[in-house]
Amino acid sequence: MPSTLTQSAVTRPPDAAAAAIIRTEDLWKIYEMGAEQVAALRGVNLLIARNEYVAIMGPSGSGKSTLMNLIGCLDSPSRGQYWLNGQQVSAMPDDDLAYIRNREIGFVFQTFNLLPRATALHNVELPLIYAGIGTEERAQRALEALRRVDLEPRKNHRPNELSGGQRQRVAIARALVTRPSLILADEPTGNLDSTTSKEIMALFDRLWEEGNTIVLVTHEHDIAEHAHRVIYIRDGQVADDKPTARARQRT
Amino acid sequence: MHFKEAISIALDSLRAHKLRSFLTLLGVIISVCTLVAVIALVQGVNLYVATKIGRLGLNTFSLNQFSLHDMTDRQRFARAVHRNPPLRMADYNYLRHSATIPIAIAASVENNSGTLKAQGQEMDDVSVRGVTPSDLVMESFHVAQGRFIGHFDEQHRTQVAFIGPDVVKHIFPGINPLGRHILVNGSQFRVIGVASKQGNVFGNSLDQFVMMPISTFRKLNGKQASINIGFKAGGSALVQPAMDQVRMLMRARRHLAYTAKANFGLIGSSAVMDLWHSITGAIAAVMVGVSVVFLVVGGIVIMNIMLAAVTERTHEVGIRKAIGARRADILRQFLVESAVLSTTGGVLGILAAWLFTLLAGRYTPIPFSLPWTAVIMALLVSTAVGLFFGIYPAGKAARLDPIVALRSET
Repeated sequence: MPSTLTQSAVTRPPDAAAAAIIRTEDLWKIYEMGAEQVAALRGVNLLIARNEYVAIMGPSGSGKSTLMNLIGCLDSPSRGQYWLNGQQVSAMPDDDLAYIRNREIGFVFQTFNLLPRATALHNVELPLIYAGIGTEERAQRALEALRRVDLEPRKNHRPNELSGGQRQRVAIARALVTRPSLILADEPTGNLDSTTSKEIMALFDRLWEEGNTIVLVTHEHDIAEHAHRVIYIRDGQVADDKPTARARQRT
Repeated sequence: MHFKEAISIALDSLRAHKLRSFLTLLGVIISVCTLVAVIALVQGVNLYVATKIGRLGLNTFSLNQFSLHDMTDRQRFARAVHRNPPLRMADYNYLRHSATIPIAIAASVENNSGTLKAQGQEMDDVSVRGVTPSDLVMESFHVAQGRFIGHFDEQHRTQVAFIGPDVVKHIFPGINPLGRHILVNGSQFRVIGVASKQGNVFGNSLDQFVMMPISTFRKLNGKQASINIGFKAGGSALVQPAMDQVRMLMRARRHLAYTAKANFGLIGSSAVMDLWHSITGAIAAVMVGVSVVFLVVGGIVIMNIMLAAVTERTHEVGIRKAIGARRADILRQFLVESAVLSTTGGVLGILAAWLFTLLAGRYTPIPFSLPWTAVIMALLVSTAVGLFFGIYPAGKAARLDPIVALRSET
């Protein structure tokens, strides 16, 4: 069965996939725990279109993090297909995945994951360095990204000189600077107080309005409510996939 | 692409942990310092010896009973004693008439344990030499006072002495020695001249001698001792032809077969320098070996500190990989860092060696200088050590799984 699936998928991609940023088919992730095999994902099928605003929810142990790692090209599936922005990435070697992460994905993490010794500007420049972009254009684009998150005046501060919200905005600027096709945020407000959380979520809303595709991984319902569609993961499978109240309001 | 970044990261971490970095780099510092200092030392000493020996015998060489090679080993010397007949005045007279290339030929004989007495002073271990008048052109001194030994002195075996400046200093301090009497091994001589100062070679004074006519020497000491015959060629290009001619004449005179080894020694300044270079070369080889051992130890210490750095910065590697760093990027970052680390050690080692040559140059007569080739070589070698011992830690960092690395807490 999987082999015919693979063939049909490669030779005849469905029309809907043409506009899709994320398309997965029967995505499995199996971990070897000694002699035992544990399936974290059991055949996930997803289709996320350009400029969608999606939240992925699920209890801990549901396979939510595993799915996020696969969507973020940090890991490869044990079985199944994954197209990111039209490219088949499920069987790519390490360095090709790094290239895809650099060009296609902007990560925003719960713990910000900024380089502690580097200034805000340098942190934002970092993905452009690995993209091989020259010094001048790099600085220019990094400044522009910082401006978009209203942090240009803080460009020469190091992360420990910035507040939590400011750090997350630097991280968002870093995610934006490569103009990725997908912004993947993993519990982006998990380490922030509620006021700051609101500011950060407002920023995500604005980014969506500007045309970005956003995938939020969260376990907080009020955060997920910012999205237009919530995908529930339970026991390694998509348990539910429905529009949010906000999306219903819009239509 | 981002060498500058990797270098500034490396320098930052050097600055942040000054003592730790110094201790880490100690092995490289010591080894590079040893390497550069030894090369500077050998070069300086070689230059010093070359100028001294060069002065001793500009375009000169000598014919002796034994070669330098015969004297490098006791057994070899024992065999040479049996094989090599002593050189006689007859050999000298033969060569004086037959050797056409050398422009001057002199005979001399030496006894190194002479005792001088005069003016109530005594002096031991003086070199007492019997020479022909032609010896003067072989020497690097000139006549500072009075005159040298002449043909009349040689023919009549007169008891006249030509003395070195050290003898003047010890026996005739503040006195004009010309015309004064001196007892050489109990026989009375009249001082006829004083040599100019030549200085020391390795603490041995070249100025502590008494010269007399070779005929007088042989009258007093007997005729058994082998003589040395000195030659001077008309130019540096003529030294080798002159030596070849003397060798050929001696082999013919002694009826040596074509394949037989020479039973005499021909020593040019080049032979002396060759022997000297083989000695300093051996010392240099040992010291280079020692510094290589230091370098390997230093490299292992750097590898250790880089492994610690990789562990310390696993999270950072995770971040970099997540935003698109490839294996080669991470590998390069850590390789540059360990190369910068060890090159810094190399630079410090060169500075230490430079201080050493400055001090040594000030307190010894040896002309020290920091050889540029050694400096460049030391830099290259220390960088190479950093690169080599950085490969394993950098490879470890490059192979980190981004998910695992991101999860590790700093």
